Amino acid sequence: MLDTAFDALKTFDWGSDLAALAPIEDAATASHGKPEARQDLENRLITALKGILTRDAQDYICRKLANVGTAAAVPALAGLLVNKGNSHMSRFALEQIPAPEAASALRDVLPKVNGDLKVGVISSIGARRDRVAVDALSGLLADSDASVARAATLALGAIGSAESVTALQTALRAAGDRRQTIIDAILSCAESLLANNQIANASSIYKAFTDESQPRLVRLAATRGLLACASQPAVRSI
Amino acid sequence: MADVGHPVAPELIEDTSSPKTPMQWRTPRTLSLDNTNYPLFLRDRSMSQRILNGIVALCLMAVLPPGDTWAAENPSEDLVQMIVKLIGDSDKEFRAAGLDKLRTSAKGAAATQQFTSMLKKLDPQGQVALLNALADRGDASARSSILELISSSKDDSVRAAGIAALGNLGSAADLPFLIKSLAAASNIEQAAAKQSLIKIAGESVSPALALESKSASPAVRATLIEVLATRRASEEGPTFVAAAIDDNGQVRSAAMNALGQIGRPEQLAAMLAGVLKAAKGGERDSAERNVVSVCTRIDNQDQRATKLIEALNTIPVSDRDELLSLVGRVGGKKLIDFVADIAFGNDSARRKLGIDALSKWPDASVADKLLEIVNKASDPAERNQAFQGYVKIGATRDNRNDKQRLDRMKDAMKAAKTPEEQTLVINRTRTSYDVDAVRFMLPYLDQPPFAQATCETIVEIAHHREVRDPNKAEFDKILDKVIEVTKDPVVVDRAQRYKRGETWERPKK
Repeated sequence: MLDTAFDALKTFDWGSDLAALAPIEDAATASHGKPEARQDLENRLITALKGILTRDAQDYICRKLANVGTAAAVPALAGLLVNKGNSHMSRFALEQIPAPEAASALRDVLPKVNGDLKVGVISSIGARRDRVAVDALSGLLADSDASVARAATLALGAIGSAESVTALQTALRAAGDRRQTIIDAILSCAESLLANNQIANASSIYKAFTDESQPRLVRLAATRGLLACASQPAVRSI
Repeated sequence: MADVGHPVAPELIEDTSSPKTPMQWRTPRTLSLDNTNYPLFLRDRSMSQRILNGIVALCLMAVLPPGDTWAAENPSEDLVQMIVKLIGDSDKEFRAAGLDKLRTSAKGAAATQQFTSMLKKLDPQGQVALLNALADRGDASARSSILELISSSKDDSVRAAGIAALGNLGSAADLPFLIKSLAAASNIEQAAAKQSLIKIAGESVSPALALESKSASPAVRATLIEVLATRRASEEGPTFVAAAIDDNGQVRSAAMNALGQIGRPEQLAAMLAGVLKAAKGGERDSAERNVVSVCTRIDNQDQRATKLIEALNTIPVSDRDELLSLVGRVGGKKLIDFVADIAFGNDSARRKLGIDALSKWPDASVADKLLEIVNKASDPAERNQAFQGYVKIGATRDNRNDKQRLDRMKDAMKAAKTPEEQTLVINRTRTSYDVDAVRFMLPYLDQPPFAQATCETIVEIAHHREVRDPNKAEFDKILDKVIEVTKDPVVVDRAQRYKRGETWERPKK
């Protein structure tokens, strides 16, 4: 059954009958809590991904690897990152594979891609909240491609570490018309810090943005953040 | 302590922080640490700095004075002050941010007092918002300030918000004031008082309201009875029973509605007295429906009938006929013969009541009795009454299927003697969602007196996709005929839509 499904996968497109692939779906479900079965399925998916496939079949495999993939799947997925047609699905899988190799693959490909592909990779790094990538992303904050610079800003906001804040604050000094995006990202960082109980750090960031010179909505967001900080038990108990 | 004492990033924020702006929520203790010149993230990661921070913080703890001074400087006080400041903000959204926190954070009576102290400083809109938030906060220590504001404010909306807040924060001691507010000049205060009386907690509240409902003005009595019903104060049943036969219609209606909502089968006899006391028309109709509600709460149909008969037996015989309509509404096999005997009896006045009762039956179990009257009645008025009842009951969408409903309509058509009666049957056939019902209608499409009603019935049945789709070819042909015959543009539009497989939205009345 599973063999037949993998055969059908070779010529699969999203218009064809999904029932032919049902054994793969079933195998993925059945492998839950069974490492050997899961590894076997992952190996089959990796092998298939390396073969000659339609774009939709690659897409399908990436979706499955997002669920069952491990470090073993990373090289095959990383190979697709520079491919315009499938980069996004490869990133979809790499964002969800918990292994550090997946994060590494995204960081490694960053200097090798440009334009939309680069924006996508940066977004995936942000989605993984990869702290190791902060330096690389910081270097892109002033990129000549405005989309890349914006993506890097948002990714640093998503990562939300103290190092991200430093990089964003530095960028804010020369922000120009990107000021609002950077402030958004810094406020995202403050939220992350607050969620991680780094209340004083978060509070200081918020305080800075309650200044009357800030736009009204920024002040409002910062005020709400300050209230959230002040409501934290850790602060109240002092 | 080390966390609070953490030298948080003046460098980090130097770009956005105006040097002219004081750090108004920062305590002196943290300021002293902020002024250190270490690079932030070196310090953040530095174990030695963490230790130093901890030592400094502990030293500060040792030298800081206890009591109020300490409390005033602690971050909880900061939160309270932030909220107080925001409550007074002229920008609604900033105010909302403060009120949002007031609802859920900074607990305690001391904080509540600081918040209530703002009540008199705000404009009416701000007062209303703060009163609503204080109500949600649920701290009863706000009560006295709220009462003070209600008595001093000249703004209806402020007084109403204060009255509404008492629902959450008040006690039985506030009942006299809230009851008095039911008769306030402004409608919003009345409505707020009613809601507060519904919400206010305390075991003594419902008995106190019941007591008051005996002596207040009729309008207030009626409202208090509604309040008690919404509070589900079923232990106050005697109050409702007594009010159900009150001389004032408003009080009677409120009491019958209350019994309809929370009454028990044991109260049916008292409710029947209420039905008899109700003025004929809307009040009587509503009273009967309330009795039906209580009966419906008895699951077993036979027990339902038994309880109703027991209740009927407590009513003087001379008054029972007036309750036949009610018996019909309750329905049930056990009551069919009881009512049918009257409908077939010798007394023509009682026969009318009997037919009326059968026509109100909740299901079609009395249809044969009505048809028998249609076929046998010598009095044309009685026959007409029974015919109308038969068509209504026969078309009722009860637990029968569409074929059974259609069969009843076919029998009715055979019994119909006038074009009006035939038209009635054509109109009611639309409750039978079946292609056979459309086929039954076809001959009338060619008869001018019935053509329009027939077109309407056909499109009503065609509206149901599950009937239309399996018989599309047949429906398309019939709908073409409808389009040709009808003069009503709405019917034409509907027929065309159904032919195209589209739906049609009934305009809201």
